[in-house]
Amino acid sequence: MNNNKKNVLQTLWGWLRRMVMGASKEYADEVESKQENSINDVEEIISPTKQYVRNFLEHKIAVFALCVVIAMFITVFVGPLFMKNYSDSYTEVTQKSIAPTMSMMSVPKELDGNIKMIDSYGSFSVGLSNDGEVYVWGATAIGTTGIDMKDIPQEVKDANIVMVAAGIDHIIAIGDDGKIYGWGNNRFGQYDVPLNDANSPNIILMPEELRNNGIDVANIKRLECGYQCTAILMNDRTLHIWGNKHAYANIDKFVGNTNLNDIAFTLNYVVGVPMQGNAIYTGTRGLYNQARPALTASTTELNDYLDGRFIQRIDATSNNICLTLSDNSICFVGDFGSSVVEVPVLKEGEYFVDIASGTYHYTGITNEGNVYSWGGNHFDQAEAPSKASGAKKIYAAAFQNYAVDENDSVQAKWGLKGYIFGTDVYGADIFQRIINGGQRTMTIGAVAVIISSIIGIIVGCVAGYFGGFVDIILMRVTEIFAAIPFLPFALTLSAVMSQMTLSEDMRIFIIMVILGLLSWTGLARLVRGQVLVARENEYVLAAQAMGVKESKIAFKHILPNVISVIIVTLTLDFAGCMLTESSLSYLGFGVAYPRPTWGNMLNGANNATIIKNYWWQWLFTSIFLAATTICINIVGDTLRDVMDPKSNIEK
Amino acid sequence: MGKYIVKRIGYMAAVFVILSVLMFLIYQLVPANRAYTDARTEVQGLKNSLSAEELETKFDELYLKYQRRYGTDTDNKMVRYLRWVGVYPLYDGSYNGLLQGNFGYSYEARKEVVEVIPAPLTNTIKINIWATILALGITIPLGIICAVKKGSKMDQGVQIVTILGYSLPTFLIAIVFIWVFCSLLGIFPPSGMKTPGSNYVGWQKFWDELYYLALPLIVMTFCSLGGMTRYVRASMIEALSLDCIKTARAKGLREKVVIYSHAWRNALIPIVTLVVGWFLGIFSGSLVIEQMFALNGMGNLMITSLMTSDFDVVMLLQLFYVALSLLGNLIIDIVYGLVDPRVRVNK
Repeated sequence: MNNNKKNVLQTLWGWLRRMVMGASKEYADEVESKQENSINDVEEIISPTKQYVRNFLEHKIAVFALCVVIAMFITVFVGPLFMKNYSDSYTEVTQKSIAPTMSMMSVPKELDGNIKMIDSYGSFSVGLSNDGEVYVWGATAIGTTGIDMKDIPQEVKDANIVMVAAGIDHIIAIGDDGKIYGWGNNRFGQYDVPLNDANSPNIILMPEELRNNGIDVANIKRLECGYQCTAILMNDRTLHIWGNKHAYANIDKFVGNTNLNDIAFTLNYVVGVPMQGNAIYTGTRGLYNQARPALTASTTELNDYLDGRFIQRIDATSNNICLTLSDNSICFVGDFGSSVVEVPVLKEGEYFVDIASGTYHYTGITNEGNVYSWGGNHFDQAEAPSKASGAKKIYAAAFQNYAVDENDSVQAKWGLKGYIFGTDVYGADIFQRIINGGQRTMTIGAVAVIISSIIGIIVGCVAGYFGGFVDIILMRVTEIFAAIPFLPFALTLSAVMSQMTLSEDMRIFIIMVILGLLSWTGLARLVRGQVLVARENEYVLAAQAMGVKESKIAFKHILPNVISVIIVTLTLDFAGCMLTESSLSYLGFGVAYPRPTWGNMLNGANNATIIKNYWWQWLFTSIFLAATTICINIVGDTLRDVMDPKSNIEK
Repeated sequence: MGKYIVKRIGYMAAVFVILSVLMFLIYQLVPANRAYTDARTEVQGLKNSLSAEELETKFDELYLKYQRRYGTDTDNKMVRYLRWVGVYPLYDGSYNGLLQGNFGYSYEARKEVVEVIPAPLTNTIKINIWATILALGITIPLGIICAVKKGSKMDQGVQIVTILGYSLPTFLIAIVFIWVFCSLLGIFPPSGMKTPGSNYVGWQKFWDELYYLALPLIVMTFCSLGGMTRYVRASMIEALSLDCIKTARAKGLREKVVIYSHAWRNALIPIVTLVVGWFLGIFSGSLVIEQMFALNGMGNLMITSLMTSDFDVVMLLQLFYVALSLLGNLIIDIVYGLVDPRVRVNK
């Protein structure tokens, strides 16, 4: 043992020395000694295992397939460790079905150095240059509507735009002559009058005077776009608001309201600051009346908290609002998730001069030029880099931040770049789900194969070795199991299980057991056949003559001789179990959403429209699934060829 | 031979009974109580005419009545099973089970299960016969050619395609084919069994149906291509290496005769058994296809019934699948027995 260890060390040392000093001398020695030996060598004798490995390495495709399989394994089992923000049930309503793109943060070159403003709500951002030109970037195609936000209308290109704002699927731009332009989806009255009036009861139309006469640009206080809605607040407190009533339940309360100092959109409510500046107006009592000075601090009644101060400005994310008070301090109303980046503690005399809000985070710049981000940090959007400080102006898009310097060019940007494989219908990153789902798919396949092989090997060995009555009984049992129609039976069991109250983990475990229990028969028959042949060999007779126990002969003397067949079957069965699991999950009888597996991620791809328009939602998952099973099968096939002496002779 | 067949049939019948017991027990796990549901519904109907207490007693009365009618008035699972089969009397001494033709009631279709099944069954059989013709017509010649020209470019190409065929799940192949043929090329309709609203007759109906079935059939053929072609190829290669082939060649027979007359016949034995097993196997294999292409077949019926917990229908379909699979095994056994006398002696 000790000797052996020393050898390993010596070898390692040899490699190291060769790496540093070169191998010419050593190599020469080796060649010399080989030549000397070759006279004495009769023939090289190698073990069967070595022979298998050598033969296997001759098959280039199989070696490549093996590499792919190993790479897949490493990816799906190590990958999730790097996804600290991943959660199975993550959904994001503003990021639904986004095509693969990494351009969400790439400000166009023409705009860089000339930025007047940037705004964004969902998957795309809109930027305005000092020359009045509008630029759009990010995931600009809107669902199946065929609308691309990049197609800026000619009249907008011709006009001199002074203000832009982006909603979830529309953009509103205001020209210097006061004309209001809109493009994107207008089925819910996001701008203009929709051509199709099917949704008209749910729409607050854009006011006719705005459409015809435009707006007094100089007097606009704030232009804000929400989910399919738009609000323009004037300096004289006139509020123009229009869009989809279903998106904001309290929008009616704001139509014709002339009492507001400021307005913003959370995900479900329009929120405003009344003239007195002492509350958050939502039209519903008590919705946002608990204030807190920091995200994780305890709450106090907003009225008490204000204590005579009044609210100057509000900025809203999806479910909370940041209030800037008259003494330049900030506080928050609304709910915060559990994993948020806390708002920074500022020095004495330092205060925020500007705050921008994304979907879950805020970015603020202080009077000393320091830039901070806080709030939800799922895409690292709340981690402001140090080079952002000293910026002139900051902009926050949905999950992105831009710090703009004196020359109106981007000084720093941080947050979400995009989704390499796009997002699914719930807005979750498909790449992350593929990696995490792969782990589950492979685990289920592996456990099912282990269960089936344990049963198969025991039954096969016992039946083959003992023969006679035991054999007959076991083979009858095997036949009964083999007669069970696989897919219908698995579906039924799974459906019956869903009627019972079981935890999800238990369900997944039972699915593994079902797969294992229904797929061991082939292996059992194979092992039995091999054992029947093997037990006629002389060494078994010898072992029996020496009085070795029967069970020991069956499992220690005979089993190693049939192990090659078992390995091949295991490999092929592994792919088979993965396929069955994905078929079950695809049909909705396996692992259920939100837990991802490669099967249930393809669940949505069941009609031609989705298959065509949301190609990324099935293509990448399919490639992963297909590559894995194909490669496993190639490896299995090659192993069979390699281990089968007959096929060796043929060559 | 006769004795052997009788023995096998008896054995299969025994397996069928065991499996039906197993399935029945599994269904007993479902927390559904038909007598309870029926009694509740009936009591709901009487809600206005009776007081609360009267309702309770009425409900108990009805519950007992329905339990007795459905044979669930005992907790003994074996008795329930025997009543379900129809060999053990119900409370009133009558028999009402499978043997009496009572296959259960479909709550979804509001019909007897026997009336629900025929239409999907004919569709499935129709689809599967087409699929068999196509698959055999392609795989057997392909397998033979590959075996004869073993190692050629064509053989290697076919090997790669067949690996795809059996490593990919059916639904994945279906997705890709729908994408290519429906979305990109627009050749075939993506789902359905006939042009909506059409009322064709005769040949027109036949062609319309074929047009709609074309894509599902292509997918099914592609899926079966993998396993079948490889199997035919392997058994053909084995047959070609037999001594009798050498002899035939030595005699100077033409290569065509050697291949199609001598080798093919030897290769046929394992292939026939495979074909029988496969034909019966595609009944459950077409489950996914029917679901994807919205074809009104047995598989689709099974999935919808499972989703709506219509377990009487599922139970009967399950029995059908088990019977089919056992029948397949029986045919294979008999064919083996016919062609290989050793099997008969051995068992």
